[in-house]
Amino acid sequence: MSNLSVFLKGKIGNLFLNFEHHFKSDGITILCGPNGSGKTTIISALGGFINNLETKIFFNGIALHEIDKHPPNKSPFGIMFQNPILFEHLSVEENLDFAIKRNQLKTQDKSLISKEYLINQLELNSLLKRSPENLSGGEKLRVVLARTILKQPNYLLLDEPMSDLDIRYKSKLLVFLKDFNKKFKIPILYITHSIDEISQIGDQIVLIKNGKKIDSGSVSNILNRSSFVDLTGKFESSSILEGIVSRHDQNLHMTTLDLNGQKLFVPGLPGNLNDIVRVRIRSRDILLSSSRIKTQITENELQGIISSIEIENNTAFSELVIVLKNLKNNRKKQKLRARITTYNLKNCKLLINDNVFIYISSVSIDRQAYQSK
Amino acid sequence: MDIYHYLSSDFTSILITLKLAIVTCFFLALIGTPLAYFLAFKSKKTKPFIETIVTLPLVLPPTVIGFYLIMFFSPETLLGKTFILLTGEQLIFSFYGLVLASIIYSLPFWVQPLQASFEKIGRDTIKTSHSLGAGPLDTFLNVIIPLCKKGFFTSFIISFAHTLGEFGIVLMVGGGIHGKTKVIAISIYDHVEQLSFGKAHILAGGMLILSFIILLTLFYFNKRTVVRIK
Repeated sequence: MSNLSVFLKGKIGNLFLNFEHHFKSDGITILCGPNGSGKTTIISALGGFINNLETKIFFNGIALHEIDKHPPNKSPFGIMFQNPILFEHLSVEENLDFAIKRNQLKTQDKSLISKEYLINQLELNSLLKRSPENLSGGEKLRVVLARTILKQPNYLLLDEPMSDLDIRYKSKLLVFLKDFNKKFKIPILYITHSIDEISQIGDQIVLIKNGKKIDSGSVSNILNRSSFVDLTGKFESSSILEGIVSRHDQNLHMTTLDLNGQKLFVPGLPGNLNDIVRVRIRSRDILLSSSRIKTQITENELQGIISSIEIENNTAFSELVIVLKNLKNNRKKQKLRARITTYNLKNCKLLINDNVFIYISSVSIDRQAYQSK
Repeated sequence: MDIYHYLSSDFTSILITLKLAIVTCFFLALIGTPLAYFLAFKSKKTKPFIETIVTLPLVLPPTVIGFYLIMFFSPETLLGKTFILLTGEQLIFSFYGLVLASIIYSLPFWVQPLQASFEKIGRDTIKTSHSLGAGPLDTFLNVIIPLCKKGFFTSFIISFAHTLGEFGIVLMVGGGIHGKTKVIAISIYDHVEQLSFGKAHILAGGMLILSFIILLTLFYFNKRTVVRIK
């Protein structure tokens, strides 16, 4: 178990950083915030690359901010920088060996992550003899990730690793990271803006803006909070729902999730029976009605109670928070954020504490966002 | 009449010139490399100031540098005195005086291509190397030098060729003493003054061909490298 506390204070360029956080000792923590909010600076400081800040970093009781005693090359972190670099005078395999050679002593006393495991998992076999010069973006990224892990770090820091990747690659790599995190118990700090990535692999999330922490907590909690919506913008606003897999339809490739008695049909076959699966539903993909509509247009009909309505002054939109009804058991009630036009709101005469019927097409449920626990 | 007798006195000049170029490049590697590294990565506020000093020899007339070096090398200065104490001879008009002058005169030719090459690989490469567990020396030897091969090659070739062709400073600081500080460029000048155009032709032609070959080698192997000087 590792234990990481960070305190940073000072001016970097135009940014005044005043950040303090005690990171969870397992799982994947997302660091999220607008560009220029200090995310990369935090990772650089953790790596020991910034010395003009007032810094306190304690890792497993060791004061890493004493850089004289803990120079960057002795850091316990494995860092993947925003623009990952491969050494171009070395082949792909030699790049991997670069990390292995320099970290052999450490590896004798702990469960070793082998080169073969990574070559296998990240499909590097056909790349090994090649020169980094003619690798594609995705290939390069996998090699850099493997090399970073071969350092055998106690903590992995990834700075927007997937920003240049296409979606299919991305979900494969995200699955790998999640598995890796569970298998080797190496915590990960992961910088990203992407809600896809957050909902797929994040356990904890720290929100940062203008150098300050504005919120932190578990992903499913934070994603429905207004502090998060403020950061990402209303258009991307979305909710995370958790459901238990109650049925897999192998023929139609659909899964039925049980949301405390209500049913949600999602595409694909995530998880196993009785696993908890997380899905993301964008607020703008939700249709609301005050009365039940008999329709086969959407697969899903959910019931809830409106808990808040926010009419935006200068736009066409209103934002509603709906608490889903628990029909079966009394687990924690889940919230759903909906974004509809104010025109629609008035027409349907929706008011606070009203019962509403929620219609969601399964197509719009984010397929990347499955996460079984 | 065979060519050896015809040019006998010039062979010493040729040897002195080559020796001067090699020794100068050796010291430039020791002094210029850390300087280029410092300029590329470390300095922030002092960078323009140091860059100006390093580049000055490019724009100053050789006679200006020569003049100040004569002042600086004179037996009355600390440097001059120390040199006499150590070697028993004056720094001025000595081979090592020439070496010192050449180092200063060729410094920008070593520093600039190498600095450009260091800047091209960038801080991120060095950070990556550190973060993978390589210390500063390890990083320099196993990452920076191999990645900057071309930069080192360019610096060496250009500095070498430039030192071969020095005239003004070498004449002022070295005095063109035969067998000691007289280099090819001065020999040519002497031959022309004495109207021995034949000998001047051979030496000048030789320099032309040698410089051509050196530069051709450089540009042939470094097709993609831009040489920033002048």
